[in-house]
Amino acid sequence: MIRRLFAIAAKELRHIMRDWQTLLVIFLMPVVMMFLYGYALTMDLTGVPLIIEDPIPSPESVRIAHAIDASTMFHVVGTVAAAPDPVELFRKYHMKAIVRFTPHFAADLRRGGEGAEVQVLIDGCDPNVGTILKNAFGPVIQKATLDALGIVAPAAVTVDEKVLYNQEQRSALFFVPGLMAIILLMISALLTSLAITREKELGTIEQLLVSPLRPREIIVGKILPYLALAAADGALILCVGYVLFGVRIAGSIPFLAGASLVYIFTSLAIGLLVSTVARTQQQAMMMVLPATMLPTIILSGFIFPLASLPWPLRCLSAAVPATYYLEIIRGIVLKGVGITVLWRPLCILGAIGILLVLVSVKQFRERL
Amino acid sequence: MNPFLLMIWKEFRHIRADKFSIRLMIFPVFAQLLIMGYALTTEVKNIDIAVVDECVTPESRSLIETIRGNPLFRFHRAAATAAEARRRIDRGELRAAIVLPPDFSRSLASPSGATVQLLIDGQDANSANVSRGYLNAIVAGWALQSQERSLTARGGRIASLVPVTVTPVILFNPLLESTWYMVPGLVVILVTMITSLLSGLSIVKEKETGTLEQLMVTPVEPHHLIVGKTVPYFLIGIAELCAFLVPAILWFHIPFRGNFFEFLLFGMVYMFSSLGIGILTSTVARTPQQVLFLIWFILIFFILLSGFFIPVENMPPWVQQVSRINPVRYFMFAVREMFLKGSGVAELWPELLGMAVIGGTVFGAAVLLFHRRAK
Repeated sequence: MIRRLFAIAAKELRHIMRDWQTLLVIFLMPVVMMFLYGYALTMDLTGVPLIIEDPIPSPESVRIAHAIDASTMFHVVGTVAAAPDPVELFRKYHMKAIVRFTPHFAADLRRGGEGAEVQVLIDGCDPNVGTILKNAFGPVIQKATLDALGIVAPAAVTVDEKVLYNQEQRSALFFVPGLMAIILLMISALLTSLAITREKELGTIEQLLVSPLRPREIIVGKILPYLALAAADGALILCVGYVLFGVRIAGSIPFLAGASLVYIFTSLAIGLLVSTVARTQQQAMMMVLPATMLPTIILSGFIFPLASLPWPLRCLSAAVPATYYLEIIRGIVLKGVGITVLWRPLCILGAIGILLVLVSVKQFRERL
Repeated sequence: MNPFLLMIWKEFRHIRADKFSIRLMIFPVFAQLLIMGYALTTEVKNIDIAVVDECVTPESRSLIETIRGNPLFRFHRAAATAAEARRRIDRGELRAAIVLPPDFSRSLASPSGATVQLLIDGQDANSANVSRGYLNAIVAGWALQSQERSLTARGGRIASLVPVTVTPVILFNPLLESTWYMVPGLVVILVTMITSLLSGLSIVKEKETGTLEQLMVTPVEPHHLIVGKTVPYFLIGIAELCAFLVPAILWFHIPFRGNFFEFLLFGMVYMFSSLGIGILTSTVARTPQQVLFLIWFILIFFILLSGFFIPVENMPPWVQQVSRINPVRYFMFAVREMFLKGSGVAELWPELLGMAVIGGTVFGAAVLLFHRRAK
């Protein structure tokens, strides 16, 4: 039995090795994505271009303009006396904000009271940027005005912030574990289902079935090399993450490996189920992509925070295996917590896997 | 019959015969638009939070009530100690906790001021940043009010602490709706995916079944074949682009402020890049699996660098330079500007030019390569 299993596995391995284009993509893609996310993708805003409209410049308004330009977030492109068509500045010159002083700003300020006003026009197209800008202008302008008037504000409440798990706030730490979930799923579910449907399409699965091999030997033998491939790719991601981005695994590595095996098992079960239903490779692809890859990217909390989803989508995300795997792997890698905290998502993940295997074995018996 | 028309007709019959692909072009794509329109949001809300009130005075309670009044937070039962709060963050039950120390009220009046401790789950740098910003702003606002109260009690005037009012006016997307920004971007991505995948797959399928070779020995020239393969998907792409406007406007209520015909012009120019990617891939790939993987790889690269959810301006300068060869970036920018700002060719001609150059290069290279392989 073991010998026949290995014969099938060796045959499948040769199929994999022959297709170097796919292999290249599998091993190159995670590395390229890590580079992009590690270096390129930060949400920090710097150098936001803006225009200042100041009809009658005064020492105070000039000082405020300087303070705005001095902060790393803003970059003052220019100061104009009047901007009759602000929309044009946004449309054509791609300004993100216009700070408008009134002609009587300095007089209002010196008089005291609540008369002095600064209006800030903000490009709200990107709501994320819009929110940050909306909150950022107030403190900068307030502080610059107090400085210009020579008022020392008394100390009030200091917020002593303690950022846990990812002190330096690097996006690579968040992203590398997420990438594991995507790549492992891609190899286990997509490649496995394609490998089985390819034999169906070419008719070779029938030749295998009439050979002395048992169906379960064929299936397990075909799956084994992909298991190895997934494990190798997972190890590669963690190594590159460690070497290039300093992503240290805070928790136990054996537990991480064990949990990853459970996830691979669940993903393989998805691939198996798809391959019992699909008749051609194209169908398999079209089922796997929208049914598993996209939800894994969008609904698992990989990039977009789960708590911000509307409730129907939160329910959907509870059915995505990667949601649980992400909770586990981020728990181990970033928080360093163990099975005592993570037993619940691990059990759910295993249960989904067993359920899927049972369904696909039933399907397999009926179809072949 | 004209060989061009013949090949186009042939391709349309292929598409019509393939019920599976037709369904694929319609239902999942619209479902994706609806689901992703809501799901793709970098907004941060419903932050799970709890307080640790070690002080229990009217002041501490007033601060807690102020935080509680903010709709961005989801309040959980209070923790007794900071250690308990930390454990609950470890378990993933909370994202943040605020600790008010026992001497909070007393030190409020002192010259050095009071300190509040904020524990925050920093796994997701973006969410952590935003929630930190919110909490700091709330605490600062509350502190100002409490100073105002104590100042007026002593006969001072608050105006001396707040000399100026800053009034933000949000243009183009006044309620800062995430869908207004993401759905136009999604339209671009979905159209790119469909057109490049379908055109790439249709050529490779003929390769795999051997019918491409049969076509090559007929009097049909390679350029007839390319035109036959692209025109139908060009039309499908334009049709989908228009079809996407319907849910965007009627379901998501996104204003379309631009000119429809200019939108079409941008779409047509863009199709050359997107179909070019498909054809270029199919000259390299031998099986549908390879087409899928290569296109997926290219598109992930292009989507990440398109400014779809992370502004290009935030990226380091060398990445910004790299993203200049990315056609998705130009079309994404143009579509969003047309939707929300009502810009047109007058403002967006650099993007149009960029797309035309890239499209011409990619499509030209694809056709040349196809010719070389076919010979």
